[in-house]
Amino acid sequence: MTDFVVRAPQRAISRLYLVLASGVLLAACSSPAASPSAPSATSDVQETASASTLPEPSGTVRLYTSVTQDTVDAVLVAYAEAAPDVTVEVFRAPTGELDARIAAELRDGQIGGDVLWGTDPLSVQSYAAQDLLEAWSPPEAASVPEEYQTDTFWGTRLLNMLIVHAAEMADPPTDWADLTNPAYADGVGIPDPGFAGSAFAVLAYFESNPDFGIEYYEDLAVNGAVQVQAVAEVLTGVAEGRFMAGMTLDKSARDAIAQGSPIEIAWPASGAIALYSPVAVFADAEQLANGQHFANFLLTREAQEAIASTGWQPIRDDVEGPPIDGEQVSPDWDEVFDRQEELLMEYRAIFGG
Amino acid sequence: MGAGRVLALLAIAAMFGVVIAWPLTRLAIEALGSGTAPFIAALGPEGVDAIRNSLLVALAVTALAVTGGFALALLTEHARVPSRSFLLAGILLPLLVPDFVSALGWTRAFGPAGLIDRLTGVELPGLYGPVGIVFVLASGAVPLAYLLIVAGMRTRAEPDLERAARMSGANGATALRTVTLPLLWPVIAAAGGLIFATTMNTFGTPAVLGRPAGFATMTTRIYSDLAFSSTDAAFERVLGLALLLVAVVVLVVVLTDRLGPRRTERGSIAGPRAATRPAGRLPIALTWTFILLTVVVPLLALVLTALTRAVGLPPLPENLTFANFGRAIDSRTMPALVNSLLLAGGTALACVALGAAVAIAPGQRWRRRGSGIVSLGFAVPGSVLAIGVLLAFGRSLRDSLLIILIAYVAKLWALAARPIAAALDRLSASGVHAARIHGADGPTALRTVTVPLISPTLIAAGLLVFVFALHEVTISILLYGPSSATLAVAILNVQQLGDPTVTTALSVLLTLLVMLCAVPLFVLRRWWSASLVG
Repeated sequence: MTDFVVRAPQRAISRLYLVLASGVLLAACSSPAASPSAPSATSDVQETASASTLPEPSGTVRLYTSVTQDTVDAVLVAYAEAAPDVTVEVFRAPTGELDARIAAELRDGQIGGDVLWGTDPLSVQSYAAQDLLEAWSPPEAASVPEEYQTDTFWGTRLLNMLIVHAAEMADPPTDWADLTNPAYADGVGIPDPGFAGSAFAVLAYFESNPDFGIEYYEDLAVNGAVQVQAVAEVLTGVAEGRFMAGMTLDKSARDAIAQGSPIEIAWPASGAIALYSPVAVFADAEQLANGQHFANFLLTREAQEAIASTGWQPIRDDVEGPPIDGEQVSPDWDEVFDRQEELLMEYRAIFGG
Repeated sequence: MGAGRVLALLAIAAMFGVVIAWPLTRLAIEALGSGTAPFIAALGPEGVDAIRNSLLVALAVTALAVTGGFALALLTEHARVPSRSFLLAGILLPLLVPDFVSALGWTRAFGPAGLIDRLTGVELPGLYGPVGIVFVLASGAVPLAYLLIVAGMRTRAEPDLERAARMSGANGATALRTVTLPLLWPVIAAAGGLIFATTMNTFGTPAVLGRPAGFATMTTRIYSDLAFSSTDAAFERVLGLALLLVAVVVLVVVLTDRLGPRRTERGSIAGPRAATRPAGRLPIALTWTFILLTVVVPLLALVLTALTRAVGLPPLPENLTFANFGRAIDSRTMPALVNSLLLAGGTALACVALGAAVAIAPGQRWRRRGSGIVSLGFAVPGSVLAIGVLLAFGRSLRDSLLIILIAYVAKLWALAARPIAAALDRLSASGVHAARIHGADGPTALRTVTVPLISPTLIAAGLLVFVFALHEVTISILLYGPSSATLAVAILNVQQLGDPTVTTALSVLLTLLVMLCAVPLFVLRRWWSASLVG
């Protein structure tokens, strides 16, 4: 050890080389795997390819999104065909980080994105309430069901919260109410609504539905249900055997099953809780026209097929998506929006923290 | 040379102003924008619970980790241990594992349906809850404490003083208490302060292990408000809580710095000691057990997860695959890796240079104050620091690597400055005096005496900053742009897709990458030592 001191510079340099060398090595070994699958070419694209009473765009558009990367990739492949002259610059981050960036940029004077493609309506609704979103009417809006439309944002896909349970279970749960059954005592995982919009939608739905009410959560707690921070953790917990059953999102459950995870989906008899993933254009967007073009594109058949190809339910019912095996129910988003804090307080009084 | 010193100090002050003070001021302005409401909200009954929980966890983790790190440092530095290199590697290995998977490693190892549960039917009670959080965080912080304390010991070993104490009749414990500990105090305080701040700031482990028990910390509350930060009230609460967190951390760090013995001027420069006494069998056995349980088993559980075809399948041969590694790496990963390596390298250089520049500050008091003040940046949770940097520089530097570099330096400056200042505190002034008497000017004395003596600490600090920057996931995710995406972006992408097999595959790759760099260095260093000494 006596020479520890003397060797410093040489070692620093050799370390740098090694860092570079192994970086190159790794680069050489890895092939760009899993490139997004192109949207299925089966459809009669020509009909809708005239996506536009909007002008032919060029230049750039900046997309701010919290949508999962595989879905964004699939849509961008399709958009490159629809608008080859537009460069899409993507900033993708989980909802909280995305909203924090927007909040900081807003207070600094200018939001850096043109288009906002969110995961759930809550935050987008909040921007609408602050008059930050452009009010307009996308040409494709007519093909979006009315309940997923507002003046400033439109649903692009649906996320379904449903029940997963361990495979080959003797007496699996079939509806939400079953999760409070002593048969599943200490064996139910639920996502913490304090961390994700989708989990919050579930809380909002149950709380405002007279059939359930906040008492549903009290019953879950009495039955030993366990909250976890992320929605995906529920799925992992059920697959590993930490939980017998739990609430999670349809796409992740189907993906895990396809890979061979020992879980099964139970579409709740009283309905899966559906939340829609909205798109909007910022009112002071630098590239307003391009932003509108991209937002409108998300509602076209091509984009909807790309979205469906990644496992999410498209918002258009004329595009085939994953199997929907039962009812779908939703919270009243307008009512929920004003009661976020109150709902979370009620919830935390039961599950802590 | 007087002018040079003044210039350097001005440069450091300016750097501090730009990188730490201005972003924090912007945060404070925004938090106070709507009056004191955010702070009052932060101090409500729930807020007080979270503050208490955070403090208790951080204090427990700091005490455990510093004690553990110190004990290990005594073992490896003051005694001869068999298979020393393997022991060192085992102790330090957790530093190379990204902390966003450390909780996952523990739950996969010791949790319900984990590796040990599958093999023996035993699971660790209390893993989900405060005890588990403290345990996981403390075992992760031990190598940090160990590294800093060893670097400090090598700056100035005190074999003569310890030997003198023993010869004067002190037993081992007395010598430890009256000689070794007081002399090492600056280093221990520096390590403790850093571990306390890191623990107060950590989010992943409390989120994974605390939420199931309804256990909230300040960071889980901050992150929960961040998730709703599209509303003004929640966003301001994020800032209010974060500033409160900063205040608590800085208060504790400054208090720790004031505690403990003042600097002792006695003693001479002594080179690193050559340990002669063989270590006892029991400490060695305990150390290896510790490494096995807190390092090897969780790591093994992570590797098995990364190799399993689908989550939930038992790690049997028919379920093993390398496919997750392919899924973890796409065309975006390589540019992100390059960006992260550049940023980590740049941050390490900048932080070590800034930390070393403190060496020319006039005297210990200013060094301590300086390293206390730069702890401000380290105390801010990453996502909030990123918000501050966006507020301060967003419009001019948006999307650039530079804005990420600014945030990294703000965050990690203290990680280099505190150990370096502590090492300087342990340095005897007599060496520099001797050099000056023999005609060396200030810079020459610095170059030929001070820097070589503190170089173990400079290297340790640089490595720490590099690894922390490389593993960072909360800062750059808010700051990156089309051409400056970092590994954090790739990591959060796969994490959000919800498949832990891919997330762990990516972190295993990251760990291997850093090891690939570290192992040849280790071998080269041994070869060099051998050729020089031999």
